[in-house]
Amino acid sequence: MRGLALLFALGWPVAGLSAQEAALDSLREVGNYEAAIAVARRANAQNTLGELLMAVGRPVDAARAFTAAIDLHQADSLRARLNLAVLQFQRGARDSALRAFDRFIDVYNGGGRLTSGELTAVAIAVGYLSVRDPNLARDALRAFDEAVATDSTNLEPRLLLGELFLQRYNGTEARTTFEAVLARHPHHARALLGLARTTRFEGSRQAIELVRQALQRNPRLVAAHALLAELSIELEDYVAAERAIARALETNPRSLRAMALRAAVAYLRGDAARFDATVEQVLSLNPAYAELYTTLAEVAARNRLYTQAADFARRAVALDADAWRGYALLGINQLRNGEMRRGRRNLETGFGGDPFDVWTKNTLDLLDTLDRYPETASPRFRFIVDGKESALLTPYLTEVAESAYDSLAARYGYRPATPIRVEVFPDHVDFSVRTVGLVGLGALGVSFGPVVAMDSPSARDAGAFNWGSTLWHEIAHTFHLGLSHHRVPRWFTEGLAVFEERRARSGWGDDVNPAFLMAYHQDRLLAVSRLNDGFMRPAYPQQIIFSYYQASLVCEMIEQSAGADALVRMLRAYGDGLTTFQVFRRVLGTTPDAFDASFDAWFRERFARPLAAITPPDTTVQVEPTRAGIADLARRRPGDFPAQLAMGQLLLRDGRPAEAIPYLERAKRLFPEYGGDDSPYALLAGIHRANGDLARAAAEFTALTAINERAYEAYGLLAGLRLTLGDTLAAMRALDAAMFIHPYDVGMHRELAELSELNHRYVMAIRERRAVVALDPVDRADALYRLARAHMSANQLDEARRIVLQALEIAPEFAQAQELLLQIHERRGS
Amino acid sequence: MRTAPAALVAALCAAPAAGQTHILVVSGLTGEARFEATFHETATTILEAAHDRFAVPATHMTYLAATPATDPARIAGRSTKDEVLRVLEALAAGAEPDALIVIVLIGHGSASGGDDRLNLPGPDLSAEEFAAALGKFPTQRLVVVNAASASGGWIPALSGDRRTIITATRSATERHESYFGKYFAQAFASDGADTDKNDRISLLEVFEYARQEVQRYYEGERRMLTEHALLDDNGDGAGSLEPDPTTGDGAVARQIFLDQAARRGPVADSALAALQQRQDSLQTLVTALRGRKDTMPEAAYQRELERLLLDVARIGRQIRQRSEAGRR
Repeated sequence: MRGLALLFALGWPVAGLSAQEAALDSLREVGNYEAAIAVARRANAQNTLGELLMAVGRPVDAARAFTAAIDLHQADSLRARLNLAVLQFQRGARDSALRAFDRFIDVYNGGGRLTSGELTAVAIAVGYLSVRDPNLARDALRAFDEAVATDSTNLEPRLLLGELFLQRYNGTEARTTFEAVLARHPHHARALLGLARTTRFEGSRQAIELVRQALQRNPRLVAAHALLAELSIELEDYVAAERAIARALETNPRSLRAMALRAAVAYLRGDAARFDATVEQVLSLNPAYAELYTTLAEVAARNRLYTQAADFARRAVALDADAWRGYALLGINQLRNGEMRRGRRNLETGFGGDPFDVWTKNTLDLLDTLDRYPETASPRFRFIVDGKESALLTPYLTEVAESAYDSLAARYGYRPATPIRVEVFPDHVDFSVRTVGLVGLGALGVSFGPVVAMDSPSARDAGAFNWGSTLWHEIAHTFHLGLSHHRVPRWFTEGLAVFEERRARSGWGDDVNPAFLMAYHQDRLLAVSRLNDGFMRPAYPQQIIFSYYQASLVCEMIEQSAGADALVRMLRAYGDGLTTFQVFRRVLGTTPDAFDASFDAWFRERFARPLAAITPPDTTVQVEPTRAGIADLARRRPGDFPAQLAMGQLLLRDGRPAEAIPYLERAKRLFPEYGGDDSPYALLAGIHRANGDLARAAAEFTALTAINERAYEAYGLLAGLRLTLGDTLAAMRALDAAMFIHPYDVGMHRELAELSELNHRYVMAIRERRAVVALDPVDRADALYRLARAHMSANQLDEARRIVLQALEIAPEFAQAQELLLQIHERRGS
Repeated sequence: MRTAPAALVAALCAAPAAGQTHILVVSGLTGEARFEATFHETATTILEAAHDRFAVPATHMTYLAATPATDPARIAGRSTKDEVLRVLEALAAGAEPDALIVIVLIGHGSASGGDDRLNLPGPDLSAEEFAAALGKFPTQRLVVVNAASASGGWIPALSGDRRTIITATRSATERHESYFGKYFAQAFASDGADTDKNDRISLLEVFEYARQEVQRYYEGERRMLTEHALLDDNGDGAGSLEPDPTTGDGAVARQIFLDQAARRGPVADSALAALQQRQDSLQTLVTALRGRKDTMPEAAYQRELERLLLDVARIGRQIRQRSEAGRR
């Protein structure tokens, strides 16, 4: 191809193509702009010359060339007129540019026969006009289609069509369009770039590879360097981002997009001088360039700087009243800050201007749903929960949230502004939209600081997660964000939040498992200095999960070695704008690299026993996957946890529980921290229970639930065992813990209520009786009567009276309720 | 068999008629093995509750199942179509004119081209054949509970005067496994269905209990509700998903109890009789007040409600004390 371009450049005739046109296309496609400019000059192709000059950041020369093309009535003078208008638009003369674009509608409506290139020019002009009339986007699509139909070999309208689809949030059509181009031209740089953008839109990490392919083809494709910079910023790889921005500006020193990204990197790095200078430079080139601020808003929001994101978005719409993306970003970040009414208003403005914006549409739909959720207040929180389960969940939410606030405020010496808004969604799709505007988010909860959103326990199957510890985790983030002015890196806030879960209640928080230790052995865990990569660019699917736990261990170690205050001082140091390197130096007196070594030593000591019991398989020894093979392995390796556990499981499956016990006991001793569903605790508890040894079964379940926050079934069984053994207090505690996994079993609430009453725990009894009523039992009168009785026991006579009247309203003949009403009146009277 | 709570066994009946209760339970083909146990459990739960809690004599209960060997002591015969029709004919011949006949069908249903069937060993039983058999009960009150899947089409076929028809599904297209029978049986066996707390369980209360618990089950399992039970007792051939005795279906079912003895015989103690009369009047006033709830200011409603309910409670206490003293 390069050879062919050279032939064209030298003026050799080639059948079927204008030699110069073909040469220019080829040179431009590979980024050899200087050679292309020379050919264009030689061929007096003024419009093409202008476009090439635009590509290398010479707008004045470009304008001169476009004007020449028009004056000379060259074949592509219509395109030159368009390009002149685009230049106006790019320097901020928006009104005159839009007037110029408007004239292209007359060209189209004039009825004359237009070439593919002219139709493309019309489509581009109409695309610009659609910013003020979104319906015109459809006309632009039609004009592009006609341009393609008129000349199927013209790639330009196809590429622009793909980009238009993407601007209109239609990833499917965009992909189809770009793939169609690539089917015929597999290495086409702009098509690869378009596909990369589409892939990013779809949320895939493959985008970066496609950009690199595009840059292989055209190493000077400014838009590709800009996309690479954007992707690098998302990965918090600011060095790579800076490099890509520099490459873009080498080719086009006036690239507004590249400069906006440079400002974003400077902002994130806290380089105020560079930030200010870049912003000034951008605005001097185009005083109406709202994209500068929408870029900054997006980047700030991605880094959890929601207030700053809203401020940037506000500046975007101040610069350009048609910056619909700016309104959307302003609205979405106001919602994240709990400014619900203002947020909605700005989202509606944004959506009015860009009705194709799927994020904004989803969020507005979600707001309609949220409007129907009742709001309940506690001293420091507002709970917004679906009406179907608000009465059920709010007492538990209040208990956890208020307790978390007190506990964390004492530990951090910091009190976030209240009220904190907690939204709980029974439909995971709604939670996902609330968080990222789209469906498909895998997380359980999110904290924006003053606003926390999370899945309701009904959003997932019983035992899928612990919603109590999830809420605690998210409230911990609220503290971390506030204390660090939202500058805490992901690895540290996640690790600290998991660590806080473990400290909050027995069993809560992630715990160690064999896969994690195996990853350590295989060197697949990240060094502390690179732990953020585990969240931002995980190398394998489990790495995020491992990184959460590992980060929590780092916090545990810091607290042990430097004191609890060190964690707080680290948060404050991040708040001062320090990097992780600087934070480690200031607070811990070490560097992350040096810390890595001490963490490794601490880790080896902390997990010495299980690390010795879980080792990578010995590839030199063949183990038959048979009963005999496993038995042989267990016999030869008594210190091997997986071997002992496997043998115990095997014997259990064979119906030989007595023989399984020694293996399971050995496995337990080797790795006592493991509390998975297949752990020795769970299996031993089952064996002892079946043998009628209830005390030992209860002990195993107790050990299991102390390290497994999702063991719903185990909690239920443990409660039953403790009850049988006469320990009603322990039974009560087990059922209480189970409520934070799955609070929808009426029978379990009734049982806990009775145990609470038995143990004179009336606050819990009232909570549980309320839960029964909230679950809408068939026998509502009875549920209300029992709730009233609990209030009576707690000496809350007014509430007892109010509720027993509700019971009698349903069932006036209810003798026990009648008696209770009379007792209440007698007691009040006395 | 479990022992009925004293209050329930002793409860007196307020039903419009007070004849004997006869129960026929038919359990159809099970298909998968697991259904054999669940169908049998449903059937025996109903029969035990009828005997133990509602004092229905064992001689008034018949249980036919696809595999009698499962429980020969309780299963009277094989649930073939001929046997079902034979038992119905015998029942029609022997039942008192004012008897309450309760027929519960358990199993899998099917339908094609408007032909609704219950799957039995041998030929299936169609709704039309069953309707014809019911024609032999000219004076008795009939309760038919078709707890099978795809049973919705049985209501138009069986609906009529003196008949309460309950189906587990609202149409023949709801063909998935039905859980209605399980909760219908549970309602008889537990106290939870007595929602008005009058120590008696009406057929309407049983239906409501089963309907709501089925819904709760599906929600708990995070599954789409694939069965919607219906009740028809006004003979219009259309079942109600949520019967409302004040406006349509439910008025008859509210008055049907398995324990058919009269609630209140003549009360010798005239003071007690006066108290009961006063109690009835007060409860009528409460019912009337509830009817006006939407038209009254909330505070005024609550004041009046409390005043009335306190009177109800005081009279109730006097009745209980006087009854207790009388028993001593």
